Amino acid sequence: MNFKRLYQSAFVLAAVLMSSSAFAAVENLNPEGKVKVVPAILMIALLILFVWVGVAAKAKDTEDYWAAGRGIGQIGGGMAIASNWMSAASYLGMAGLIYLKGYFAIAYVLGWTGGYVLLLVLMAGQIRRYGKYTAPDFIGDRYYSTTARLMSALIAILISFVYSVGQYKGIGMMFNWIFGISYETSVFVGTGVVLAYVLISGMLGATKNMQVQYVVIVITFFLPLFFIANKLGYFSAVPQIGYGAALWDIGHGGNGISAAVAEPAYYLPFASYTLYHWIALCVTLMLGTAGLPHVIGRFYVVPKVADARWQVVWGLFCIALVYWSAPAFAAFGKFSNLLGTSGVTIAPDAIVVNAAELAGLPEWFAGFLAAGAISAAFSTVGGLLMAGAAAFAHDIYYRVLRPDATEETKMKVARIGTVLLGVSIIVVALKPPALIAQIVAVAFAMGANTFFPLFLLGIWWSRTTKEAAIAGMVVGLAVTFGSMFIPKDSLLAFYIPFTSSAIIGVPLVLVVMVVVSLMTKEPAQEIKELLYKVHNDV
Amino acid sequence: MEKEVKVDLKDININYFRPVGAFMTKDVHMKSIILIIWAVMTYGFQFLLKAVADPNDTVQIKLNTGEIVTQVSGKSFLTEMQFLGFPFHYWYSAQFLIAMFIFLCWWYCKFIDKLEKEHA
Repeated sequence: MNFKRLYQSAFVLAAVLMSSSAFAAVENLNPEGKVKVVPAILMIALLILFVWVGVAAKAKDTEDYWAAGRGIGQIGGGMAIASNWMSAASYLGMAGLIYLKGYFAIAYVLGWTGGYVLLLVLMAGQIRRYGKYTAPDFIGDRYYSTTARLMSALIAILISFVYSVGQYKGIGMMFNWIFGISYETSVFVGTGVVLAYVLISGMLGATKNMQVQYVVIVITFFLPLFFIANKLGYFSAVPQIGYGAALWDIGHGGNGISAAVAEPAYYLPFASYTLYHWIALCVTLMLGTAGLPHVIGRFYVVPKVADARWQVVWGLFCIALVYWSAPAFAAFGKFSNLLGTSGVTIAPDAIVVNAAELAGLPEWFAGFLAAGAISAAFSTVGGLLMAGAAAFAHDIYYRVLRPDATEETKMKVARIGTVLLGVSIIVVALKPPALIAQIVAVAFAMGANTFFPLFLLGIWWSRTTKEAAIAGMVVGLAVTFGSMFIPKDSLLAFYIPFTSSAIIGVPLVLVVMVVVSLMTKEPAQEIKELLYKVHNDV
Repeated sequence: MEKEVKVDLKDININYFRPVGAFMTKDVHMKSIILIIWAVMTYGFQFLLKAVADPNDTVQIKLNTGEIVTQVSGKSFLTEMQFLGFPFHYWYSAQFLIAMFIFLCWWYCKFIDKLEKEHA
């Protein structure tokens, strides 16, 4: 079985790359090992709801499994985009980094929203008109090359893998907080539940699920914020505005914080980090947004081109509701911290839940947030495992190894792929290499360095050749992995941080691709006609 | 699939900077406008923060290389002006820019829907 070997080598590569020695253990958020009853009930109720919705909309055949029957409305599609998009990184990780790094981490907020402008303007409509199942499908056809198809499928699996590691960490931490079981056990339990429902429901179920999950994410994220703002004495009718004053007090003193303990570095733009790094991070996340296979894949779900575009607008709006709120959790957490509130085990990646605890809200309120965080992680892992499995079953197995495979076999391979991927992620997630948002940023850097230039040039310059595509992917991977392994204290690491490697990677890959294209034989007439159609067939 | 402008498929070369046909030309023009606004408002503002920063308010930062550099903290009228309670620059980045991204997307969708209708 060839495909197995391919898959295994990708996995081994990733495992070796990610599991170098010096990772810190994850903080135990529930040292007493006590089950928090109300949060536990909330979370279990939510999981049952998701599985039930999934079962109610069970996938019928392979087409459903991958592209959800292509029949979802604009707002519904927007909500699905949003919940597919918002993972533990948005729900937990982003606030965690803003808590730690202040204004610098606003680059995460902007990177993960501004990228949608690029995606919409440069790609969404064209990708939908092209109309295939997966991102590697586009690469394989546009670059008329089986090698390019295989490579891009492997990269898609790698991206899903890295991205999921961050989600597993979030799931593990929340299970740990709720049930008092160890982080490691939590990762195993969480994986079992995720796999069960992805397999039961497939993507049609998952799309319905995503809408339900979006509602859960927004409600659980919003409600506690009102009460936290109120407790701390800030404008609580719209806590997304109210936290502004808390920020001011953090920096200047006030509302119980003396000027002596105030931390101006929290809000000042360049007090701890450089302008270059802010921009590098923001650019990487933006370009990565436009280069993530599971995000691009959502556009195939839409029946009409116009709908594909409007879904982006709705999706971005739905995302913004949460992204306007995350910095508020961070600021309130920071504020309580400066006030000197104690008695809470703080982990940056759990600051959202911690902020509620610090403000003295009852436990079940914080439980709301933990349950919401798990929803966010689940909805994204679902989408990621689907994208990974599709790359495996459709792009590698069906398109390359067994073009005569029946629908039934494809379906089976997709399920096997989901399980293999889902289980293998555990290995790395047990010892997570960084903070959630940082792990996820690496996945974005990889998407930006590989898929983004291939799509950009593939859609907008018909002269781009197959050799250029392959060279581009090789260089892109080299930059992404290179940035993880160069010595942390080198000058090179200063210019190419592992979370932000696309600032150098993308321009480099683009130059390589243009040069190689001009040196190699022009693509055939069919490719140009295909591109013309992609731009004009309304 | 009626097209207003018949184009000879024999020499179609797609290039963002050399669009083919009226539809693509107008579309690309609009895309460029939106991308320029997007880039200037997001990144231009960060450069502005640096440019107007109080040169006397400096901090020392330890880089990953171990080198210690002195740079401006970024304190300026943009950070010390209060807007809705926020330091202004923080509000601009964390709230206004996101709203602007949504607006840009909405604007483009409106534009392209209309353009497609005209050329259908």
